[in-house]
Amino acid sequence: MKVYVSGLYCGGNPQPGVGIVRSLRQGYPNATLVGVEYTNRVSGIHWADLDDLWIQRPWDELDLDLYAKRVREVLDGGAYWISGSDLEAMWLASVFPDGHPNLLAPPAAALKRIAKPAVEAHRGLPVKIPPFVSSDLSDWELHAFCREHNWRVWLKGPYYDAARVPGWDSFVAARAALTKVWSTEKLFLQAHVSGYEESVMLAAYRGELLACVAMRKRDVTAEGKTWAGDVGPVDPGFEKELRRIVRELNWTGGGELEMVRDAADQRWLLEMNPRFPAWVHGATIGGHNLPALLVQGASGIRARPAEAEAGEFTRIVLEVPVRADYPLPALPEPFAGAVGHSMKHPSGLTSLAERLHKKDAELIGLVGDSEEEAADGRPEVPEVYLSDIGAIELDSLQTPQFLFFDKTARGLFKRAAERAHRLSTNEVQVVSGYSIKTNPDERLIRLALENGFYAECISLAEAQKAIETGFRADQVILNGPGKWWPEGMMPTERMHAVFCDSVADLDRCVAAIKAGEMASKHVGIRIRTPNVTSRFGIPLDSPETFAKLIEAVGRLPRDTAFGIHFHMASSNIGVALWWHLFESMLKWCRSIESLTGRPVEILDMGGGWFPDDWHSDDESKFARAVETVRALLPGARQIVSEPGKAMAQPSMALAMRILEIQEHEEDHVEAVVDGSIAELPMYAFQPHRILRQCGTTGALQPLGRGKTHLMGRLCMEHDIVAANVSLPQGTKAGDMLIFCDAGGYDRSMSYVFGRG
Amino acid sequence: MYLAEAEARIDVRPETCRPAPLASDRWRDFPHSTFSHHGEACCEIARQWVIAMDFAQLNGADLTSGPRWLRQKYKWGPSPWPMHWCEAVKRKSIDCGAHAALALEAFRARGLAAFPAQLVQRYSEEATEQWRGKWGQEDVSCHWLDGEHIYHEATALLVDEEEVKIWDSSAGSWVAPRQDGGYGSLVAVRIVAEGQFGGGDGLRWGERRIKPGVWVQI
Repeated sequence: MKVYVSGLYCGGNPQPGVGIVRSLRQGYPNATLVGVEYTNRVSGIHWADLDDLWIQRPWDELDLDLYAKRVREVLDGGAYWISGSDLEAMWLASVFPDGHPNLLAPPAAALKRIAKPAVEAHRGLPVKIPPFVSSDLSDWELHAFCREHNWRVWLKGPYYDAARVPGWDSFVAARAALTKVWSTEKLFLQAHVSGYEESVMLAAYRGELLACVAMRKRDVTAEGKTWAGDVGPVDPGFEKELRRIVRELNWTGGGELEMVRDAADQRWLLEMNPRFPAWVHGATIGGHNLPALLVQGASGIRARPAEAEAGEFTRIVLEVPVRADYPLPALPEPFAGAVGHSMKHPSGLTSLAERLHKKDAELIGLVGDSEEEAADGRPEVPEVYLSDIGAIELDSLQTPQFLFFDKTARGLFKRAAERAHRLSTNEVQVVSGYSIKTNPDERLIRLALENGFYAECISLAEAQKAIETGFRADQVILNGPGKWWPEGMMPTERMHAVFCDSVADLDRCVAAIKAGEMASKHVGIRIRTPNVTSRFGIPLDSPETFAKLIEAVGRLPRDTAFGIHFHMASSNIGVALWWHLFESMLKWCRSIESLTGRPVEILDMGGGWFPDDWHSDDESKFARAVETVRALLPGARQIVSEPGKAMAQPSMALAMRILEIQEHEEDHVEAVVDGSIAELPMYAFQPHRILRQCGTTGALQPLGRGKTHLMGRLCMEHDIVAANVSLPQGTKAGDMLIFCDAGGYDRSMSYVFGRG
Repeated sequence: MYLAEAEARIDVRPETCRPAPLASDRWRDFPHSTFSHHGEACCEIARQWVIAMDFAQLNGADLTSGPRWLRQKYKWGPSPWPMHWCEAVKRKSIDCGAHAALALEAFRARGLAAFPAQLVQRYSEEATEQWRGKWGQEDVSCHWLDGEHIYHEATALLVDEEEVKIWDSSAGSWVAPRQDGGYGSLVAVRIVAEGQFGGGDGLRWGERRIKPGVWVQI
C-alpha cells in the first residue's frame, strides 16, 4: 500500500501532513508513505516516518496541467492521496470534480457547500455561524458592522489569514494587505466570538462517515493554534447530523469543524476544513486513528487498531536530522534595511490561490449567495443630502469649502426633540443636550435651542457662546476638566447642572458655590468608565478611589440636587458595549446613591453616537433605558441624553475639487484634490460617503470601491483623504467631490494648514 | 466562620494525626470561607464596589461568564482570617477561600444561583512543602495542606435546572468535570447548597451527580 500525504509544513501554524503520516504509520506499519511538498523549505519533509518524498516546484512555477496528469497516474496506479492543504484540496477537486476512488479528498460540489464563512452545509448541526458581511459592501456599511459588533471583528482572507480590526484605520490597512497577498478583494468581516475553542474531526469515504472525534483546546499558541487538547466522543446529536451532512455532501477524506463554545454553551462554527486538522495525531494518541480508518475505508485493508494512550495530548519542539538528499536551502537575505527574512508561503500558495480564482472563482468560496449580484461598494446617500446639495450653488464655490445641509439638520434636531418628548413620562423628563464642541456653528446651536436642547459645554467660552446664541444660563450644563477656563467668564445666573470631573474639581466647585462665584440647580460628578480606558471622570477602579468618591459626594452642598454624568463614544466602543456600559453605570449610580444617601436626580449620559446608530436604532431600546433608570434610580427626575456627533456629523459636507489625475501602470489611477486631512481630520476614524459631480451634466454620483487613492493637497505623506475608491469614467481635473458626513469633528477639529 | 472556630472542628496538626481513609476526611466538617462585615460603611462600600465592578467587567458578555477580573486584581496567596470585606478588597493577594467568597458574591449579584464549593486536590509533597513555607512566613494557618493533598475552595454556578459548573476563582478557570488523576487533579468535591437545590439526585456536574453538603470522591 502506498499513500501520498501533503501539507507537511511544521511551523507555528502547522499543516496536518506529519500528524497524518505518524497516524498512518501506526495503523499500517508496512505501508509506503510518500510526502508531497511544493518547497524543500518545509521541515516536515525530514520526518523519519516518510519512506519517500515527491517534492514539486512551488505553485507559482508548476505547470498545473502536467502536474494533474502526474497525480492522475499516481492515483490510477493504486496509490492513495491524502491532502493536508485546503488550497491543494481545492485544486485537486478542480482536477477531479467527481473525485477519484483513491483520492481521499472531498469532491468539488462538497467544497462549494462548505465555503466560509457561510458554510452552507452546516444546517442541522447544533451550531450558529458568527455574523459576517462581505467586504464588497460600501465602507459606510462595513463601518456599521464593526460598530454593531463592538469593533470585536476579524477581517478574514478567503482561505487563510485573519486580522483583528479594532478600529477603522486598522481595517483599511488590513484590507489593503490581505487584498494584496491573496489577489482578491473577496474578503469578509466576521464578528468575534469569545469562548473556548473546540473541533470535531471526521473521516468519511464516499458519503459514509467512518469516524469522528471531538477535541477541546487546552493550550494554544500566540496565534490561537492548538498546542494541547483533550479528545473524546462527539455527542450523539451532533454525530447524527454530521453523518447526514457527510452523506449529503458525498464527502470523502478528512475534515474538521472548528468551533467556539461561548459562556452560554452555544457552539459557533468558524469554518469547515476539507482536510484533517494539524492535531490529527493527538486524536490517534487518544485511540481515534482517523487517517488509518480513512485508508481502511477506501482500501478495505484492515488497519491495526488504535490503542488509547491518553485522553489528552500536547506538543513539544523536536529537532530531527535533515535528509541528506534535501539539504537546507539558503536563508534569503533580509531586504536592505528591513527586519526579518520575509519567507511566508514558500510553497507559493498565494500564487495557487490566484490561479484558482481564474479557474473557478466559485470553488474557492466567495462570500454570500453566488447568484446575488455583487455589491460595488457604492454607499446609499440619503435623499435629503441630495436635496440640500441641490439647494447650494456649487459652480461658483471656492473649494475646499464646508457645505451646510439645512434641511438635513432641521430634520435631525426635530426628530431628536420628538423622540425625547415621546420618551418622557410624568416622573422622568427626557431631554437632549447639544454638545457645543462637536460643532460650534451658530446655525446648529440655534437649532438646538429651538428644539428644546440643553447646551452641553466643556469650557466657560462655550457656555458664553451658548448664552450669546440665546440659551439662558439655566439651560447650560457645564462639565469636563476644563470648565474653569477661561477665567472670568462664569455665568452670573444659576446654571442647570455642573458635573465635577475629579475630586479636586469637586472641591473647587464646592468652594465656588460657597463663595457665591457659581450657582447651579444640580451639582454632580462625572464617573469614569472602569472597564473602558478613559481619562475623564472620577475613577472607580479600586475600592480606595471608590471610597474617596463616596466621601467627596458627602461634601456637595445639600441645597443643590445631585446628579451623575458619564460619557463614552459609542462609535468607538460599539453599540452593544455602550448599552452594557449604560446598564453598568446605572449600577454604580445605585451604589453611590445608597452609600451617600444622595438620590440621583439628574442623569446625563453621552454620547459620541454615530448618526445611523442614533437615528435609525430601534426606539424601544431607548424606552427600555428610561424604564431601567426609573427602576434603578427612583429619585431620577431628568435624563439628559447627549447624542453628540449624531446631530452634527450629517449636517455638513466638505466640497473639494480634483486638481490632477495621475495615470499609472495597469489602468491604476490616483487623484490629487484641493481638500486635505486638515479639513477632514476624522479620515482615519470613519468613512465618508463621497459624491462626484459630473462636470458635464452636473449629476451627482456616489463613489464605489476601487484602487484609487484621493491624495490631499498637503505635502504630507499621510494626507490621503480617501483610500480604495473608484472614480467614475470621465472624471477629470476640476470636477467636484463632496465628502458627506463631515459636520462633526471633521468640522470642529479642522485646522489651518498649508495655506500660506 | 473564623478560623479558630473551624480549627476546633478539625485536627490541624498534620504531623500528628493519622492519615485519613479518604483525602477529604481531614476536611470533612470544614466550613467554607465567608467574609465578616463590620456593619458600617467601610465594608458596605467594599461589597458594593465588588458587585458594581464585576458587572462592569462583564463587557457585555454572558452573565454566566466567570469573573476572571478577580484573579487579575488579586493574586492568590496567604491571607489571614477572619477577614472583613473592607480588608479583603484592599489586599494584593488573597487565598482561595477569599477568592471563592468574592466570586460567590459576584455571581449572586448578577441574579444567578451560586453555591460555595469545597474541593480536595492532589499535588505533591514538594508543592505542599513550598506552600507551607510561604504560608508560614506570613504566620497564616496551613490547615489546608496535608501531605500531597490540599483543601481548596471554589464556586458552583447553577447553569441549568440542576446542572452546575464549578468556577475556580483563584485559578481563573472552570474546573473540568472529567478528571484523570495526577498532579493538580481533583480528589473530592462538596457543594454547599441549601433549599430547593438540595433534593433529589443532587446537582449534575458533568457526568456526575453531587448531593449538596456531601463530599463526593472523584
